[in-house]
Amino acid sequence: MQAKLTFQKTVLTAIAGFFTLLALFPLAWVIIAGFKEKTEVLATPFRFFPKQWLITNYIDILKDTMFQKAMLTTFGGAVVFAVLSLLVNSIAAYVFARLEFRFKTLLWLYVILTMFIPGMAILLTSFIVVNKLGMLDTFAVLVLPGVASAGGMFFIRQFYLNIPLALEEAALIDGAGKIRIFSSVFLPMSFPVFVIVGIGSYLGYWNSFVWPTMTITNPNLYQIMQYLASFRSERTSEMGMLMAGSALSALPTILLFLIFQKYIISGIKISGLK
Amino acid sequence: MFKRNYRQDNGVAYLLLAPIVILLTIFVVIPFIYSLKVSFYNWSFYQPSVFVGFDNFKFVLEDDLFMNALWVGIKFTLMVVPASLVVSFLFANIIKGMRSKGASFVKTSIYIPTIISGIVASIIFVFIYDYMGGLANYVLGWFGSEPRAWLADVKTALPSIALPAIWLGFGLTTLIMLAGLHDIPESYYEAADLEGAGPWQKMWFITVPLMKNIILYLTVTGFTASISQYELSLVMTGGGPLDTTTTPNLYILNHFRNDVMVGNSIAASLLLFVVLGGISAIIFKVLNSEKAIDG
Repeated sequence: MQAKLTFQKTVLTAIAGFFTLLALFPLAWVIIAGFKEKTEVLATPFRFFPKQWLITNYIDILKDTMFQKAMLTTFGGAVVFAVLSLLVNSIAAYVFARLEFRFKTLLWLYVILTMFIPGMAILLTSFIVVNKLGMLDTFAVLVLPGVASAGGMFFIRQFYLNIPLALEEAALIDGAGKIRIFSSVFLPMSFPVFVIVGIGSYLGYWNSFVWPTMTITNPNLYQIMQYLASFRSERTSEMGMLMAGSALSALPTILLFLIFQKYIISGIKISGLK
Repeated sequence: MFKRNYRQDNGVAYLLLAPIVILLTIFVVIPFIYSLKVSFYNWSFYQPSVFVGFDNFKFVLEDDLFMNALWVGIKFTLMVVPASLVVSFLFANIIKGMRSKGASFVKTSIYIPTIISGIVASIIFVFIYDYMGGLANYVLGWFGSEPRAWLADVKTALPSIALPAIWLGFGLTTLIMLAGLHDIPESYYEAADLEGAGPWQKMWFITVPLMKNIILYLTVTGFTASISQYELSLVMTGGGPLDTTTTPNLYILNHFRNDVMVGNSIAASLLLFVVLGGISAIIFKVLNSEKAIDG
């Protein structure tokens, strides 16, 4: 019986290992392909490892000023975007979770209903709106339109609803105002939920492609996914560099994820299912 | 009870809600109302618009290409959703049985594809499917198969795009399944053990019924996500060959880019909105209700 159980465990662990490898494989492959010589990326016959490990592709792409700019502006944009969206949405979450005011239900419905409008249905008219506002080819067009998010607000509110009223009482007795209560009681407790929602916003910004492609024509403001897609279509002879660039473009995200993975994975448990 | 004696804070509340309400109004509500309006007009960037009533909707519903795109979206969903559900269900069960150290390594690893962008995934998979130097044909070569032009062949193009879609979503689906598995009380399985139930019986009579809500949730979210997928086909095939990978959203996007008359594509996107928005409203309702999870 014991032997049989151990055997079963081994087989299951082996399957788990195999699937894990399968999940990581495409990414590992792109990283390794970045170390190949230009002509070797798509060499026939296929070779997984490079004949010779060369770092030139990585150095070349890092030296490419367009790549540098795209990485930096996308990173900066993603951070600003995530911070702004946490701010706007958490304040609204607090108001809906704790304050009583006239037209509360009406405002709640107004905000929540925007959740059900798919991006594609308003893609073109959003473009017209930002065009009329004179926002095309500016940093603002990348950041502002997505900052307010009913989904993010809802998620944070669910978290705030579970904060006991007793925690606010001391502050209430001291006569602290609503804004004070938010900043001194709610904000400091928000870390776990902010990690989840913040990384979600960061990812959404970092990975977005169609919106920057529509609204940004100035190469100085190219976003990283836009840059990679145009690289693929325009510089077809430099596939090694494209591989290196794709690998590097995933790096900040993966690092961020590894740092906060504990919160993200436990966040899945509360992400709307509980 | 509590509310009645509570002082109302109209001023502060409105002040604090102003940012979200203003931003949503400018960037979501106004564009949406504008979309509604445009869908009834023969509208273009260059000419005065003409009111045409429901003509745009009629045009879209009679357009073979739109119907084809819907059909492509459904086929794509049927490839992606059942496969991810079954694989991630089994895999979540395996992870649950693992020791915690190994399990957390596996959890972290399988989640990584989820954070990769559709564009990077497309770039990787275009190389994997490459006719001459790609990995897919190389592996098939071991079994003596002839190389295939995966993305250029009408028969294989859509499944070839479904694979990276599964890859991208697999980690998240598995972890949600796992969270659900951990919520099933161990005592149920112990009782089943006493009755002499085998592993398959336990899975079929305990795990599956208790996971019903999570499976339902993942089916519905998986359906909306995969029927709205367009980035993979946009980058990998551009919708070809012969429109076999033109998903509904890609159809809409292509019309935005190529037509001067946009009323049609906006009508198409609104039609999809009615369906998808309705589905998300149902999910929301289920999630927001107290009885989201029984057991």
